[in-house]
Parts: sequence; C-alpha cells; structure tokens
Amino acid sequence: MLLREVEYARPASVQEALRLLGANDGARALAGGQTLINVMKARAASPDVLVDLADIGELRGIELGSDGTLEIGAMTTYSDIIGSAEARARPILGEVCNQIADVQVRNRGTMGGNVCSNDPTNHLPPLLVAIGATMTIVGQNGERSVPAEEFFLGVYMTAVGPGELLTKIFVPPGKGDGFASVPIGKDGTCIVNVAASLDGGAPRLAIGCVDAVPVLLRPDSAEDDAVRAAVRSANLDPPWDVHASADYRRHLAEVLALRAVAQAAGRT
Amino acid sequence: MEAVSRKTITVGVNGEQYEREVDARRLLIHFIRDDLDLTGSHIGCDTGNCGACSVLLDGTLVKSCMMLAVQADGAKIETVEGLASEGELNGLQQAFSDHHALQCGYCTPGMLMSATALLRENSSPSEEEIRKAIQGNICRCTGYVNIVEAIKAAAQ
Amino acid sequence: MTETTVTPERPLVVEEGDVKPGFIGQSVPRKEDKRLVQGEGVFFDDVKRHEMGYVHFVRSPYAHARIKSVDVSKALELDGVYGTLTGDEVAILTDPFFELSTPPGANIKDYALAVGRVRHVGDPVAAVVARTRELARDAAELVEVEYEPLPHVLDGEESLKDEVVLHEDAGSNTVWSGVFDWGDFDAALVDADHVVRIERLHFDRFSSTPLECSGCLVEYNRGTGQWTIHGNHQMPGVGAIWMAPALRVGIDKLRFVSQDIGGGFGNKITLHPQYTACCLLARKLNRPVQWTEWRTDQHTANTHGNERTFLDVTVPVKADGTMLGFSVRAIDDCGAFPRYEPLGCIIWAQVTPGCYRWRNVRVDFTQVCTNKSPVAPNRGYSRMQHLWLTERIVDIVAGELGLDPIEVRKKNYVKHEEFPYETPNGCIYDSGDYARCLDIALDLVGYDSLEEKRREAESRGKLFGIGIGSTLDSGTNNFGQSMILNPELQFSGNNEVATVKLDIFGEIVVTLGTVPQGQGHETTASQVVAEILGCTPDEVNVRAGHDTYWNSTAGFSGTYASQFAVTGLGAVKGATEKLAGEMRQLAAAVFGCSPDDIELVESQARIKGNPEAALPFMALGAILNANNAGLPTDLDVTLNVRHVYRPPFEKPDLERKYGNLTLTYATQIHACALEIDAETGVYEIVDYAAVDDCGNRIHPQIVEGQVHGATAQALGAATHEIFTYDEEGNLLTPNFYDYHVPHALDMPPMKTGFIESTSPFTPLGAKGMGEGGGAGIHAVCAALQNALGRRGEGPIVWRSCNPYESVWDLLQKPEETRKLVSVESR
Repeated sequence: MLLREVEYARPASVQEALRLLGANDGARALAGGQTLINVMKARAASPDVLVDLADIGELRGIELGSDGTLEIGAMTTYSDIIGSAEARARPILGEVCNQIADVQVRNRGTMGGNVCSNDPTNHLPPLLVAIGATMTIVGQNGERSVPAEEFFLGVYMTAVGPGELLTKIFVPPGKGDGFASVPIGKDGTCIVNVAASLDGGAPRLAIGCVDAVPVLLRPDSAEDDAVRAAVRSANLDPPWDVHASADYRRHLAEVLALRAVAQAAGRT
Repeated sequence: MEAVSRKTITVGVNGEQYEREVDARRLLIHFIRDDLDLTGSHIGCDTGNCGACSVLLDGTLVKSCMMLAVQADGAKIETVEGLASEGELNGLQQAFSDHHALQCGYCTPGMLMSATALLRENSSPSEEEIRKAIQGNICRCTGYVNIVEAIKAAAQ
Repeated sequence: MTETTVTPERPLVVEEGDVKPGFIGQSVPRKEDKRLVQGEGVFFDDVKRHEMGYVHFVRSPYAHARIKSVDVSKALELDGVYGTLTGDEVAILTDPFFELSTPPGANIKDYALAVGRVRHVGDPVAAVVARTRELARDAAELVEVEYEPLPHVLDGEESLKDEVVLHEDAGSNTVWSGVFDWGDFDAALVDADHVVRIERLHFDRFSSTPLECSGCLVEYNRGTGQWTIHGNHQMPGVGAIWMAPALRVGIDKLRFVSQDIGGGFGNKITLHPQYTACCLLARKLNRPVQWTEWRTDQHTANTHGNERTFLDVTVPVKADGTMLGFSVRAIDDCGAFPRYEPLGCIIWAQVTPGCYRWRNVRVDFTQVCTNKSPVAPNRGYSRMQHLWLTERIVDIVAGELGLDPIEVRKKNYVKHEEFPYETPNGCIYDSGDYARCLDIALDLVGYDSLEEKRREAESRGKLFGIGIGSTLDSGTNNFGQSMILNPELQFSGNNEVATVKLDIFGEIVVTLGTVPQGQGHETTASQVVAEILGCTPDEVNVRAGHDTYWNSTAGFSGTYASQFAVTGLGAVKGATEKLAGEMRQLAAAVFGCSPDDIELVESQARIKGNPEAALPFMALGAILNANNAGLPTDLDVTLNVRHVYRPPFEKPDLERKYGNLTLTYATQIHACALEIDAETGVYEIVDYAAVDDCGNRIHPQIVEGQVHGATAQALGAATHEIFTYDEEGNLLTPNFYDYHVPHALDMPPMKTGFIESTSPFTPLGAKGMGEGGGAGIHAVCAALQNALGRRGEGPIVWRSCNPYESVWDLLQKPEETRKLVSVESR
C-alpha cells in the first residue's frame, strides 16, 4: 500500500509532458493509474517521476471520422467508450471495455494505459490487434504511426519508447467482431481471451494470455476447421501459472478462438 | 512546471474545503483517513480489488487506493460521511439497515458509494445492473443477497 | 445411552409464519447499523494517538532459512524512524508462547518474531517503527538480514518423513498424533456386504479472509506497567492467556479494547505474536505504536484454514445401503506453527459420524508442520474438513453402488425421533430433523423436475448435476476435549459473561463479554433484556464492542465457535433475570409489599392488578443510586448484576476419548444444481437452496444473513479460493487478484428455508449457527460428481476446491481419479 518516494507533475500539454518525460530517465507517464499505482503500491516498480496526463485535454475524446474511422484519445476511459455514441460505430469496443474489471476501474482506467501496460491478461491488446487498430506515438522528434500488431513487444513493453507518449488510437470501421474469454469467476483476471474480426477480408484472430504479446492468427476462412488449424499451427507455448497450466491455456485458446469467430460470424 | 515530491493541495470533501501539504506518494485513501481523519472509507486489500475505499470524485465512482492524493487536487470528493444529513439516514442507508445488508459493516461505506453512483445514473436498475454496479466491492459477510435487495428497495 | 431430560418449552418444530409474542424471535432493527451505514463505526485503524508510530514488519523471503544476522543500523539512520525490534531482543525479553500439545508439539518454541530461523515466507524477522506508514516501510527495506537457506517441506505427507525438520526443539514435524476407535470397526467390516475404499481425498487450504485485516494500536502506561491494545482480536481472553506469561506480567496488565471489527471468521484468534511484538515496541519506544496488516501480509503470514489429507478411507456397507461407519487416516497440515493447534485434532470429533447413524468409526489422526503460513480456526473449524469427508463418503459410496444419493442419505441420517442422539464417541446431538430439511431443500431447487432440467441442459451442450451438502454446525465447545489431546491441560467446560445494570436515570446498560464482528450482538442482547424487563429493545443500551476493563469477561470470552445464542445470550438472560429480581425487591421495599406482587411491564415496576402503583425504571435507578436513605438495611440490591453462564458439561473420559464435546448442533442442508461447459470445465451454479435449523431463532433476519454469508464463503472455497504455493514456498495467491473471492456477479440465485428444532439444552432453546459447516463446499463437490459421471463411471471429485481447470482435467482423464476408488462385494 505504501509507495516509495516519487515526484509528481501534472502538465497541461503534450509538449510539456514530453519535456518532463525526457528530463528524467526514471520518469513515467501516469494515465488512469489503475495498473501503475498498484504496481507502485507493491513497490514492484518505483518511477522517480510521475507525469500525470490528466490535464491534457487533447488526449481525451472520441471522434468518428467521415470514413467511419474512430479516433480515440489515449486518456479516454473505458467508461467513456462504453457511454459514447460514436464508439458504437465499432460495437465490440464498448462490449469489451464493459468486461474490464469493475465500475471504479472502468471510470479511471484508460485505453492508452491498458495497452501501454501490456499485461498479457489485459483485454484490449488482443482486441486492438484483431480489429487492426493503429497507434499514434509522439516523441521529441515528432509523431509516428504503429499498427497494433507491431505495438506490443513484450510483457509490459510496447513500441512507446523512453520519452515518448501514446496519444491516439485509430480504429477502422467494422462490426463483424467477436470476443471470448474464460476469466476466473465471472469477472476476474482472464485465463485466456481471444478477439476475432471478420471485417476486411481474411479473418483476424488475436489470442491473449498465451504469450508475452497477443498472438495474431489469420485463418484461411472462418470455418471451424480452418480456425482450429490456425490455432494448432501456431504451436502456442503458453505460460504456466497458478491459474492455469500451459495445456489448459492451449486448449482454451482453440475453444475460445472458435467461439470468438462464431460470434463475429453472427455479426457480419 | 517542475515535478515535486511534496505539494499543497485543496480538495472539497462533503462540502468542506481542506488545504493540506502532502507527499506525492501518499494515496488518496490515506489522505482521507489519516490526514483528514475521515475514517468512514476503509481499506480491505492492497491491489484495488475490494472497493472498501470507494468514493465519488467529481461525481465519478473511484477507488481512492488507486490514486494519489495529489491527483485529487482541486477535486470535489464525496464519502460515506456525507450521505446522511444531520444524523438522518438517507433512503439508501435506511434500506441497508432494513434489509440487513450489512453485518460487520466494513465494506458498507464503499458499497453505499457504489450504490449511490448507480442510483444517480439509473433510478430503476435491474438485479443484473445492481450486481454489475457493485462487482468491484467485495463483501465477505453477506453473500451480497441482502445488499442487492436493499439497493432494489432504495430504487423504488 | 446417557439419560437426558428433554423439556422443550416450545413444540419441537415451529412452522414458519407462526407469530411469536415478545421480542425474541422478531427481526427488530439492528442497533449497530446506524453508525455503520454512516461511516461512524470505530475500527482499530480508526484510532489515533498523539505522536504514535507506525509498525512495519520485515518478513522472510525464504520458506526455511537460518538467520545469520539482522542489521538494523541503516534503518535507524533514516530520519523519522523511532526504533526497531529484532528476534534476539524478543528471545531475551519474552518467553515462548505456551503450546497446547503433548510432545513433540509441546517442545516447539514460538516467539513474537523469528528467533534464529524463519519457517515460512512472510515469517516476521524484525519490526520497524516510524513517523509515517510510508517511512516505516522505507526503513524496513533498509534492514539487512543475512539468511542461510535450508531445505524446506511444503507437503503434509512429505513432512511426516522428518527429512526436513522445522522445529529442532521438537525433533519432529509431527505436532500430535493419536488413534480414535469407537464401536467395533473390524466387526462392521465382517458384517458388510460391500466394502468401498477411497484411496485419497484432499481438503484444500483456504481462509475466510475477513475484509478488515488484523492490526492494533498499543499504548503502554509506564506508571502502571499496563498495555492497552486497541485491536481486533476475536478471542482476547485466550489471547491474554498466551501473551501475559510470554511478557512475564500478570494478566490484568493486558487490556483489550475493540468497538467494531470488520469480520473475523476465526482468522483473528491467533494474533498474539504480532500483538506481543507491538507491546514490546510500545514499551521500548515509550510511545503508542500502530500496526496495520495489509492484505498481502494477511494471506502470506497470518492464518489459513487447516489443510487435510484423508487416506485409505474404508466404508462397510450393507446390501440395503446402510453404512456401518468408516475408517480413515487423516493428515492435517497446520503450517509452520501450531498456535491454536493441535485443537483441530479433536474438534472434528464433535461431529464424528456427520449427520449419520454410523456406529463404528476409526480415525488415525496426525498433525504436521510444513513451511507454509500457520493455520487458525477458520469458520467451520476442523468440523468442516471432517464433514466434507462424510459427505464425500456418502456420494462416492452411492455412486459406486448405484444408490440414490437422496435415499441413501435418508436411510443413514439420524432420525427425528432418535434425538437427543448419542454418537459413538459420546456427543449428544440435541435436536433436529435432517430428512425434513433435505426435503425442503429439494423442494426449493425443484428436484421433482430434475431429469427434465438435465435433458434441457444437455440439449444446450451442458452437463447438469445436482448435489447435497448436509452438515452440522456444532456450537458451544466443551474445552475439556483439549484434555483428550493433552491430559495435562487444565481446560474444561465453557463460560461467558454479561453484566446488566439499571443506572441512575433509568438507563438499562448491558455489557457483554463477547467480541462481535458483525453478528449483531447488541441487537439480540437487547431483545432478550427487553423481553425479561418488560421494556423495548430501544430502551436497552448495549455497549458496543469489548473492553477487558469492563470486567465482563471470563476465561473463554470471545466470539467464536458458534455459541453467542447459547453462551452470550445465556449470560444476558441470567444477568437480566437477576436484575429483574432485584428490581422487584427494590420496588417491593418501596411499596411495602412482597417482591412476588411486583411485575415489570411497560418499563415500570408495578403492583400486579394495580397499574396505578407503579415506579418507572428511572425512579428505581434514582432511588437506589442517589436517594436511598430509609431503605431497609437488609435490602441486598445493587441493580448492577454480573452473571456467568456455564453450560452443563462433564470432563470427557480420556481413556476412551469419549464424552459430550459440544452443547448444540444446528443443521444445514444445502442443495446445489450446476451446469458444466464440458469444453472448458467452466461451470455455473444455476440453482441453490440452503435450509437451516438452529433451534429457536432469536432474530430470523440475522440468522438468514449468517446462512447467506457462510454459503458464499463455502461457494468461494469450492470454486476458486485456494492458497497455492510454488516449489520455493511462495504463496501464489497472496491478494484478491489471484485469490478470487466471490463477487456480486459470482453468486448464484439463493433460496433459503428454515425449521426450528428447539434445543432442549440451552437457555433460550437456540443453537449457535454462524459457521455453517461448509455445506456449500460439500454440495458443489457432490453436484460436480453427479454431473461428471454415472454409476461406476466417470471421475471422482477428490479435492474440496475445484477450479475450472480441475474440472476439465477430471473430464479429460477420468481414469486417473477413478482408480482412487474400489468396491469389494461379498
């Protein structure tokens, strides 16, 4: 419960935030804090400086472009997504956000925080990979765009480098999506989760909790046999932990892949 | 702007303004309980799962162990102490008592704040909506049965 | 059969809906609620003192290691640090806590901090006190401890081999062992038509994890040498018996104070090591010190429930399904220190045959230490593990022999007309009607349409199962059972205290000896007082919480072991009746009549048949306390009455391990219907009923609340709650992320039913009932078994906790568990 000493700043602009992040190697961006504060409570991580992004208005908000693309600010909370009329352009977003943790966490936890922490059991990394989202990263040297499938690099590691910020997530239009998971109990940590999207040609499947990053699969078709074959040929080597063996996770990956695809197929 | 390890913050709690100097590392729940001596909000875990510390921050339900006090600078906070007026229980509090929705009473303040947030948004929630609204509040005494009943009754 | 007088004041079975006069039996508003719903309760962590320091424990990262050195110098250099305490100091300043066991367990040395050796991950090695909570933790990180890791043992059976010995002084990991042999098991084997054998069953480690963790604020009064402990100990009488000799002081030097406690469930019974450390710190540093345990600390190093392995279960069965008893070898794993143990080695014997008429029982019981967190009497303590065994026996035997689990239960249950029923080991089941409770439970879950439901679920691709958990909640211990373990112990019987006074302004003030944690003692005590004194519960002021210095405690005071309705309210009833007698005496002296002419009604003492001749309670209080000139000199009235309720117990027969070990037996019969997704092992409880019979219910709403809560804890324990360790002895479920307790969405729809079989042995015909006997665990295991396979096929549910993967595993490899069971038919 008791954090190590830390310095704190709450800048009002992205530029100011970048300056603060760049000024200290031990600085970290603080979004909703629903992961980071916990990690600091356990003293598993102890940044020297927290750069609170709460006052940066440009990082918040959901806009629906004329082509149907959603532009989501990194500081947009799960509750914002759930309650947003615009976000319903891609219904799976609100549905999955509504499965994350609980009301309190959804009220403060952010899209950007979820993907930047890249806990392998999080919901959004596989979802954003499956639906082909694109991330905008800003640094001192300007802005770049990274597809979700290249964004996640390892446990708690992403393409956002030191001194950089994730500012926006772009989600293309679509509705043929599915999400299936086995959590602990009704709403605990995911043991395995799978997101599927059948929009935009070949199916895209992303499996979470089985590797350091979501495992993207592209079965030949949405038929059961094709999906099953894709999962098997991925030769998943999931981690063992207190909640599940590697075998069980491997098995669930296949079952949940079929279920996520079936749900997606029902919506195309 | 420079980062600081100690800062003077101003928060309104239940309509009262407080100005205090706090360490940046101090959690909001410890600020409320230890520094302001408002001990109604509780701590039941160290991982943000139990919801005993739930408060309303500018009208939004949050867990006060999942943020720093300095993050609340300038905010308006509502805690369990603000629910009753002049010793008169409000409808929700009375319903909790009538329906035996509390035993040890330790989760109750957080539970009441979650129910308050729900009922402000949804005056006639279904049982499923009630359960979803309190999914982040752990109770080890009641099995939630009577808590759900009390919230239903308060909504009517 | 012991001769017993049965004089029920009410019919044995009271139908729901019967209107009862008076306040007893009514769900009056709870007195506790008004403060608690406003956040105005006072829990230990709410208490503050000027210049207090915060305690943080330095804990072992090793399961087993020798402590080579502890260096606190860097911690002491940190600005804001007030001081430290180490194991070396503790070893000088205190004596080891006394042990309840005979050797080898008796020789274990247990101190407030680790001395020389750590024996589980989280074992406290040193303590630091600082100006803020955060600084105390900073300083704790600066304490340098040099360890020499030792081999460790985490498994009970493995520990029996003594290849790694935790306690050198004991020389063995065995704490206690003994054989219990009642009836004639060998003859039963000969008589049997079938003998069912179960190689192994395992009751997993979990705990009720009260939402408020443990802690205290300790003040030391240098002038009087007295400590005041504002804490949440739920059995302070016994806590003081441990602590005072260790601290080398008289017991009156320890004052325990608590107002509100955020749940206990037995997990707050063995806080004496941490409290002793805090006492030493408060004295050493001459300032109040405050210790708050965090969730991770509680899971890692406070208390767990007993883990128990049952081996070689043998059950002789007659052709008609009558079971003649059972034999078993039980290995109980109590973790690194026995503390309240080995009482768990005998407590189970209160319910030796479960709900059944089994006359021949042989139990070979051994308790061992392992390098895991110590255990404590978790809700349903020791009986729950044993009752799970009896219920597994019934369902496995039924499954193997093709018997209906409902019919076989009814055939073997103790019959309604047999109460009071004496078990093979001399316990007296006071009253009950198990078959009727079962019928109600079945009715509530629509058992008649079982096959229809099964077909409907199967049509959706689900496996459907229904299971029963029938248990007893035995309450009001006879502490004499401890002598069966250790004849040297000077404990027997039981007691509880209440003080009731009529104060100067007519206020009725009740002081309890108990330490409530949500059970509503203030409310139920006021009901009893009001009924006897002829006033309303609103007029009765029951002091909140506990304070040793109120002088309303006795040796066994506390809140534990399902007994308040018997011992606590028995004491209240006794004290109030004495007070009522004094009030009548005083009124009679004023009126110049006989006390028999006085009645107490409408908050007045008045002459029967002459309501005009009345003294309000206020007048009585004022006359005696402040206006007493002229009262007869021989009027011996104080209007301040202390009563000790002592249940009628004898010392047990130690040779035969025989005697009445507990006074009352509440019944819980649960029925659970669930559906399994065979592809994933995920299952969901779709219907659930809990039927309770706790004799006369003082406050039906509180009783039902206890049923809900005990059921929720059992369902958690059956599905996800398990303390799992890795090979290094690290707890893998140290918080509510990884240790998933039921959330609101997890709880199934729950139906409740009641009957009331008055206890013939208790002051109010009531029975203790807070623990529930783990009926939910038994019912879920039975329902899983039912869903997974039919006669002689399918896997065996052999563990108490079955997360989804376990169920999936059982489905994948039925032969692996099937081989645990064999049937020999003659």
